[in-house]
Amino acid sequence: MIPQATSLDREAPGLYLHVPFCTSKCRYCGFYSQPLAGRDADRLVSALVREVQEYRNVAAVRTIYIGGGSPTSLPVHRLAGLIETVASIWPQAQEFTVECNPGQVGVEMLSMLARRGVNRLSFGVQSFHAAELELLGRRHTTDDARRSIEHAQDLGFDNVGIDLIFAIPGSTLASWEYCLRSALALGVQHISAYSLSFEPGTPLDEARRLGQIESVDEETDRAMYEMTIDCLASAGFAQYEVSNFARDGFACRHNQGYWENRPYIGIGPSAASYWQAERTANVADIDTYIHRMEAGSSPIEERDRPNRADRICETAVLNLRTRKGVDLIEFHRRTGANFREVFELPLRRHERAGLLEVTADRVRLARTALAVADSVLCDFSAF
Amino acid sequence: MDTKYIRNFSIVAHIDHGKSTLADRMLELTGTITARQAKEQLLDDMDIERERGITIKASAVTMHYPYEGHTYMLNLIDTPGHVDFHYEVSRALAACEGALLVVDASQGVEAQTVANAYLAVETGVEIMGVINKVDLPAAQPAAVAEEIEHVLGIRAKECFAISAKTGQGVKELLDAICELLPPPADRTQEATRALVFDSHSDPYRGVICYVRVFSGALRVRQRIRLMHTERSYLVTELGKFRPQMSPVDELGTGEVGYIVANIRDLADVHVGDTVTDDANPAETPLKSYQPPMQMVFSDFYPGDNTEYSKLRSAFERLALNDASFSFVPQNSPALGFGFRCGFLGLLHMEIIQERLERENDVDIVQTAPTVSYEVVMNDGQIRRIGSPSELPDRSHIQELREPFVRLEIITSTESIGGIMKLAEARRCKLVKTDYLNPTRVIMEYRAPLAEIVYDFYDQIKGISRGYATMDYELIGFEATNLVKIDILVNGQPVDALSIIVHRDNAEQRGRKVILKLKKAIPRHQFEVPLQVAIGGKIIARETVKAFRKDVTAKLYGGDVTRKMKVLKRQKEGKRRMKSIGSVQIPQKAFMSILDTSD
Ligand SMILES: Nc1nc2c(ncn2[C@@H]2O[C@H](COP(=O)(O)OP(=O)(O)OP(=O)(O)O)[C@@H](O)[C@H]2O)c(=O)[nH]1
Ligand code: SF4
Ligand SMILES: [Mg+2]
Repeated sequence: MIPQATSLDREAPGLYLHVPFCTSKCRYCGFYSQPLAGRDADRLVSALVREVQEYRNVAAVRTIYIGGGSPTSLPVHRLAGLIETVASIWPQAQEFTVECNPGQVGVEMLSMLARRGVNRLSFGVQSFHAAELELLGRRHTTDDARRSIEHAQDLGFDNVGIDLIFAIPGSTLASWEYCLRSALALGVQHISAYSLSFEPGTPLDEARRLGQIESVDEETDRAMYEMTIDCLASAGFAQYEVSNFARDGFACRHNQGYWENRPYIGIGPSAASYWQAERTANVADIDTYIHRMEAGSSPIEERDRPNRADRICETAVLNLRTRKGVDLIEFHRRTGANFREVFELPLRRHERAGLLEVTADRVRLARTALAVADSVLCDFSAF
Repeated sequence: MDTKYIRNFSIVAHIDHGKSTLADRMLELTGTITARQAKEQLLDDMDIERERGITIKASAVTMHYPYEGHTYMLNLIDTPGHVDFHYEVSRALAACEGALLVVDASQGVEAQTVANAYLAVETGVEIMGVINKVDLPAAQPAAVAEEIEHVLGIRAKECFAISAKTGQGVKELLDAICELLPPPADRTQEATRALVFDSHSDPYRGVICYVRVFSGALRVRQRIRLMHTERSYLVTELGKFRPQMSPVDELGTGEVGYIVANIRDLADVHVGDTVTDDANPAETPLKSYQPPMQMVFSDFYPGDNTEYSKLRSAFERLALNDASFSFVPQNSPALGFGFRCGFLGLLHMEIIQERLERENDVDIVQTAPTVSYEVVMNDGQIRRIGSPSELPDRSHIQELREPFVRLEIITSTESIGGIMKLAEARRCKLVKTDYLNPTRVIMEYRAPLAEIVYDFYDQIKGISRGYATMDYELIGFEATNLVKIDILVNGQPVDALSIIVHRDNAEQRGRKVILKLKKAIPRHQFEVPLQVAIGGKIIARETVKAFRKDVTAKLYGGDVTRKMKVLKRQKEGKRRMKSIGSVQIPQKAFMSILDTSD
């Protein structure tokens, strides 16, 4: 059965490009990426371009985001070619972000990005302590981070974000505060702060299991998170999602699209799409991906068509991660469902427990619920 | 039909000794079912029976068998072996003149073999010893025959060696049934009396009574009377189980079949009641039997209080086909509205609970099963309570009595020491020991039901490496030194977590309970203090630490599907919980208070 096209299906999607290479693998990383060495970047980029071309009839994309892996591990001219392709098909995108690895972006790379119309950079800084970077297996130094961000700003980038990780083994409230302050001192517009998660199968997780490192206790982890919210707020950064903070007007629109449950197109190995009411994921293997693209076959490996209930729940869970929360009218427009009716029970229970703030037109997590969001959100994952 | 050619018999045995399989062979040999209809344990037709491979409900079937120039009518009743369902065996035996006592040739006499043999002797039926599974390499038919003679007094040389699996010896057994079992007494001319030995409720036809006619006859369109309730009904259908229900016009003396008579409510039919002719009634009813005794009680609450009426109708539906469990409304200060349910034993409870969940979409929370107690009040009045929470204040009580059972354990000689040690720790008093043969022993104990009904069987199985079997029978209530342990969660007493234990091990037990609870209660966003009190005095405390962090740091486009699955699982984990104040107590916490392991 062909689903009826709705106005939502014609909504401009976000576009995500996944560059699956890294110079080396970080010890905590659970993403799909492989060391670049010996890999044929040219063939990969051609394959990505081919996949992008398949969507050329999509009239407009809202935002573009090139992530990874490390897009900046590609040779400058290759990345330039990729950006060129995308930008020429969709010149109108409001926001064009490229993820930058501090150790990889020199002036040449940054000026290329500026010239090609990239208007937002996101730097994977993670920490301002050398020992922590070492523990995480990051190849760059804190100086690399400072220098590359300053270069970017000198070249005119006025929408720069930094990713940071807290609750790294050995860290303290004070050491984390230092990281936050260092980030602020760089005059960036956006900060993402993630509590370190031990992804199964990563060397870091293995080290923990073997007792070589000890995870930060829950109480400290919580305190670090609360401090992040307060510290950044007083520096003029509003929290707009569980882990994301920005100066006024600098929230990442691309990512906001995910939390609003808008459609998006993912390009590249392992990339996920939510397109034409279907959730799909590309094959998570570089060689297979390249082969399929070269053979003209589909890179999609998994498909799932969420039903109405799935859509309602996904929208609820994603919306609730934002500080804006669920806009009841917008929710109804997007899902056709009345949020208050569908989730009457969990709404009542969590509101009574002070974990949800409910107003006439909005429902959002209470500040105290942010650190334990999953224990609330799970009740919106099914009905 | 001439009663001379009718034989009514039950097949009784210890669990898994092959009763239902023997019934299968007999159905085939007598041509009652065709090869095409055949399936293993055909008479076990309930879903749960087939899944668990055990018989829960007795089933009757009528077969025809030619022997020495005559066609015999054989009415067979297959019975369950599990101790919880002994009363089904008693009922079945009351409808018969004979019993086949089946014993597994590789296992020998076990606890329910003995118990069922006693029941057969008490009922006064003729017993035939049948040694089954002789096809097994480990079969020792001669030794088992000796054991049967020694323990049960059935002559070894009169036992039949068969394999219900291969069919070996089954024809000879059928011949012997015709030859040796007594026919029903010829009471054709007397007033009609038929024993209701079972019943079930059919959505279209109302209650269906399973009967054995002892005198006179039943006919379609006859007006009958149930002697106990003194109500009369018009018979609309009579029939036999072949094994599916097959209508007939008449059920004569000695025959077994069913009656449909527009009886709406299962409660109107007492199993054990006598059916007679309304116009020409018998003077006295047939001997009835004791209603089944409920041994354990447990409270069921809806996970969400708004689902109370849903739970009630679920119980009502179940009760339609199981008159042996009971449910009465219950109001717990901590848990709200629910039902106190009574069961024949833990297996029975498990089955009811499983059916409840399977056939209804209700989220239920169940309290730990408990035995019932007799409370002698100061004014001499005696009360029966089915929950520790109902125990009146000490100052009003003269005496507290708990149920005692006669416990029989059959085991190997090597495990005697271990079992005796356990039994002693459980306040059991050894009455006597008998050797079945040089390596097997039967021990009789006088035991408090509360000490042996939960995990005792598993423990003796463990001690004896699977060898020991046990059976018990209620003998009465007896005063012992019992105290109630109360549990406070977050400062609030939770009646549903109380237990009654012997004073001597109360403190130790209390400490154990609180440690189990600490493990079973999930962390909340605040600390949850737990306390144990005996007689109002706090004897131990523990704290369930708070969880401070529970949030996925990253959730972007690629994570949605996976994350939704994880959240759904987290939500599932919250099912079967009951909130007490702001604390959520999961099902497993209620059950954990019975866990005596370290
Ligand atoms: N080898 C062998 N196995 C048998 C024989 N008779 C029964 N069995 C097996 O023994 C197991 C139990 O048989 P059932 O007929 O269900 O036993 P039951 O006595 O009806 O069991 P309950 O109703 O649960 O008390 C099944 O796996 C049968 O296949 C036999 O003569 N030989
Ligand atoms: S750079 Fe990012 S994607 Fe690459 S290995 Fe490190 S954490 Fe993973
Ligand atoms: Mg059986």
